Amino acid sequence: MEFLNDVLVQPFADMAAAPDFLLQVLWEGLVGGVLYALIALGFVLIYKSSRIFNFAQGIMVVFAALTLVGLYEKGVPALLALPLTLAVMLVLAMTIERVVLRPLVNQPDIILFMATIGITLFLIGFGELIFGGENKVMITEQLFIPTGSIVFEPFGGFVSIEEKDLTAVIGAMVLVAALLVFLNKSKIGRAIRALGDDHQAALSVGISLSTIWVIVWFIAGVIALATGIVWGARAGVSFALEVIAFKALPVLMLGGLESVMGAIIGGLAIGILEKLFEIYWGQPLLGGNTEAWFAYMLALLVLLFRPQGLFGEKIIERV
Amino acid sequence: MKRMLRNAILSSALLAAASVAVPAVAQDEAIYIPNLAYRTGPFAATGTPLMNGQRDYITLLNERDGGLNGVKLEYDECETGYNTEKGVECYEKTKARAVVTQPWSTGITLQVLPKSNVDKIPILAPGYGFSPMADGKVFQWAYNPPSSYWDGASMILKNISDGNLDSLKDKKIAFLHLDHPFGKEPLPLLEVLAEKHGFNLVPIPVGLTEMQNQSAQWLQIRRERPDFVVMWGWGAMNAGAITEAVKTKYPMDQFVGVWWSGHDGDLKLVGDQGKGYRSISWSVPNSEAPLMADIKKYVVDAGKSQINQSEGEFDSVFYQRGLMISVILVEGIKAAQEEFDVRNPSPEQLRWGLENIKLDEARLKELGAEGMLVPFSTSCADHTGHGGGWMLQWDGAKFVKASDLLTPDRTEIEKLEAEKAKEYAEANAPWPVNEECSM
Amino acid sequence: MFYRTAGQFKTSYQADHALFPVRQDAFLLGVILIFAFVIFPLTASEFTFRALLIPVLIYSLAALGLNILTGYAGQLSLGTGAFMGVGAYACYKLITIFPEMNIVVAIAMSGFFSAAIGVLFGLPSLRIKGFYLAIATLAAQFFLVWLFQKWAWLYNYNASGAIQVPNIEMFGITVAGPRATAITQYYFVLCVVCVITFFAINITRGRIGRMWKAVRDMDIAAELVGINLMRSKLMAFFVSSYVVGIAGALFVFLWRGAAEANLFDIPLSFRVLFIAIIGGLGSILGNFLGAILIVALPVIIGSVPQAFGIPLDSAMVEHLNIMIIGALIIAFLIIEPHGLARFWAMIREKFILWPFPH
Repeated sequence: MEFLNDVLVQPFADMAAAPDFLLQVLWEGLVGGVLYALIALGFVLIYKSSRIFNFAQGIMVVFAALTLVGLYEKGVPALLALPLTLAVMLVLAMTIERVVLRPLVNQPDIILFMATIGITLFLIGFGELIFGGENKVMITEQLFIPTGSIVFEPFGGFVSIEEKDLTAVIGAMVLVAALLVFLNKSKIGRAIRALGDDHQAALSVGISLSTIWVIVWFIAGVIALATGIVWGARAGVSFALEVIAFKALPVLMLGGLESVMGAIIGGLAIGILEKLFEIYWGQPLLGGNTEAWFAYMLALLVLLFRPQGLFGEKIIERV
Repeated sequence: MKRMLRNAILSSALLAAASVAVPAVAQDEAIYIPNLAYRTGPFAATGTPLMNGQRDYITLLNERDGGLNGVKLEYDECETGYNTEKGVECYEKTKARAVVTQPWSTGITLQVLPKSNVDKIPILAPGYGFSPMADGKVFQWAYNPPSSYWDGASMILKNISDGNLDSLKDKKIAFLHLDHPFGKEPLPLLEVLAEKHGFNLVPIPVGLTEMQNQSAQWLQIRRERPDFVVMWGWGAMNAGAITEAVKTKYPMDQFVGVWWSGHDGDLKLVGDQGKGYRSISWSVPNSEAPLMADIKKYVVDAGKSQINQSEGEFDSVFYQRGLMISVILVEGIKAAQEEFDVRNPSPEQLRWGLENIKLDEARLKELGAEGMLVPFSTSCADHTGHGGGWMLQWDGAKFVKASDLLTPDRTEIEKLEAEKAKEYAEANAPWPVNEECSM
Repeated sequence: MFYRTAGQFKTSYQADHALFPVRQDAFLLGVILIFAFVIFPLTASEFTFRALLIPVLIYSLAALGLNILTGYAGQLSLGTGAFMGVGAYACYKLITIFPEMNIVVAIAMSGFFSAAIGVLFGLPSLRIKGFYLAIATLAAQFFLVWLFQKWAWLYNYNASGAIQVPNIEMFGITVAGPRATAITQYYFVLCVVCVITFFAINITRGRIGRMWKAVRDMDIAAELVGINLMRSKLMAFFVSSYVVGIAGALFVFLWRGAAEANLFDIPLSFRVLFIAIIGGLGSILGNFLGAILIVALPVIIGSVPQAFGIPLDSAMVEHLNIMIIGALIIAFLIIEPHGLARFWAMIREKFILWPFPH
């Protein structure tokens, strides 16, 4: 009985007892979820258009943020560093397409997956060689990101919202909206979706595979830069950031590998649920740090009932 | 089925053997000091300035004095990335010529420690490693001067309770630590003290993958509302914790870290908002000291240093602590040279030297480093010295000394050290114990 | 010329299905075994044992375990590191609870623990496929490593949360722990690896192996011809995790000497996966070739600048090292996606025909 009480009753009593705290937990979860969703979005775009499970998305986040900060430290004005970083990401996308993807066309998925891990290792070594391994401060103020905090006082407590988190949430929403418009309305966007549906058919109506791949990897690079800026503003820019790639994988499982909506909804859901679980169940009952696996277990449970994820395309197998 | 494979092993083995063998004969005369450094990976930010300091002091001796008593010192780094596996590989690679092992991570120390009795190379882990290593009878080859983690925990509690631990009764102390051997190290002592003095200890672990995003941990701190937060953090975890503390509006003057959590770079992220944060330390930066003037003249201005001057690394706590770490090692080598009248002491002789370090105030003054390091001396039975430490406080731009010399309360620690050392020796039986030491 | 197969006639099916239908293969294997058992131990230094020979063998074994699952049965797993951890912790508990137990028995038994956990986490494979399954095995990876950290009973409530290998004797010789010499540990590992490799070759060649291959190539078709999918998938998880668990126990007991939970984290899983893929999926030999490349290469690259007297500081070497490994992985995948084993097979074909071009 004691146990059931701890699991089923006490957490909810705690939530009700300190509603301001609950709101804070939800907000923190939401901010985390937005970041997961952004990384997952990078994965999904590349997977949709080329069936590559791009493990390097995590290191691209670090690399983009480091380039931005590194350029600024070398004396480039912040507002010039931003387009320059985008140019670097474009060059990176072109290099990856030319050197890695093109020779590996038509290889099994796992080979391409391995190749992206190879890219990850290469970028880690390359990035540390150029920018050094130390923790860097994200140039938030120079990019006109507000750094104060807004404090609400509901229910006699307080909820503090960092302005840069708020900026991150709004920025991410704008980015996602722009991306959806781009994918659905523009010519290139339609080409990307066509490639996702059927490679050969897309090729036969004259869509250039290599151009689209460069564009897709470049978009993933832009998303990586956005993620890097907001995450870097929270905790500094360093190679430890690379591990956030692992936080995005369960989002993909939950949302489905091909679904943009799935990535967004899955990301937000996982961000919020894992924070709630950690605070109200994990810390009092399991010794904490449950965030390391909670998302995976949740996704695993969902997959047992829907093997293609919540929003994924139904897998039809033919013999 | 397995053909060819071992041929390939052979060729690679031969290649490696050949490449390892070459440096082994290179410089017989110099004293070889390897360092299992890490300038890469998530812990590089805190590691690099320390390694720079270690390197620069050795460079200074070579440049200014032509070495130590006329013998050049050869400082060599082997990169571990704070990875235990790489660390052990480095240990194996360097041990043939090494007079000392500087493992630089509690994880690597734990791996190398059992081998110390067999390989007979002293381990020098200043301010880290396994706290019971203080017991020189059991750990004949391991040294962690001038203060162990348990000493550090005791000093922090002493300082926040104004010297009377009983005043902490019914207070709540959160212990925010890296979920790694390093972070768990002070837990046994804190548990004993919590029981004895009646304060409420809340351990909050931070996983290696969560160092950068500690919002869950800080939400817990907000819920628990502890009277103090004691932090055992390293690498990217420090920066994460300090930014979260600012965000949660946790009062900085109730937030205290161990010496590895007092890195200027981490606090610069928050600047003025970090004002009041304290960190216990057994070294104090003093850029005006004569030693620092020499470092500047012979090493930095001569372009032989790797420090990042534009970031103010020269004045930082960690860089100058790195210098002090090499000071401790060199004192040990010097003691061995003088005792045995040799130019190039063997590891066994260095062991004697490390047991007979006397870094009192007079000696520190002689070195031009007065007040930069706690005075301490080691002995056969006491491998730590328990020199104590000072509180450093962040004033918004740099760390300043904020207390007199603190010393650990040894009664509980000694009991625990003896108990854990005995446990260790039993678990690793047969483990030779040096009974000849007298206290 | 040296590899001439002409004149080796088979007169029965049995002879045709022998392990070495070509005499030179058996001869070559014999030479390699002589090197492994006699010549290396006579010539290798302690550093070579500890930094090259022993890890290459242990990583080969881990990759072999993974290869059974991924290369033969087609189930992609990213949780190898955690299963190695299960083997290591199980062996540690067995040794500390029953100090009298022979270490060979303890290691053999610890494999069963990881096999059981492997089957448990293999259950989703009945419904989930491809990358979804790969990510699902990551759930095992993260959950188990978390458990190694939180469940203090596993590491006997050690204050630093690490496990330490005590000195273990077998027939009067110390085989594990700080007092063991590198050469005894090498022989111990070599024998275990040889025995398991022998069984693995025979399992994968036989009925079970062919069942796995059928499932890998098209599971629905395999089901139609009467293969019980559940049994064969779970058996693959069982055998694979057993071998991986043993590799984990050897990893800690015969090589590292101590371990903390983080050791079994995701980089270890990836490392083993690299070995299996670079070596060649669906090949036993490939694991050994891959392990030589992935384990030995960094050690060698690390000592090259020193050997030539190029003054590079260690951090630079490490950065270059990571870059080179990353680039090499990509290069190998591009040149020969089927791995080093295929590479050798092609060379062998050339040898057989040499000196004639066709």
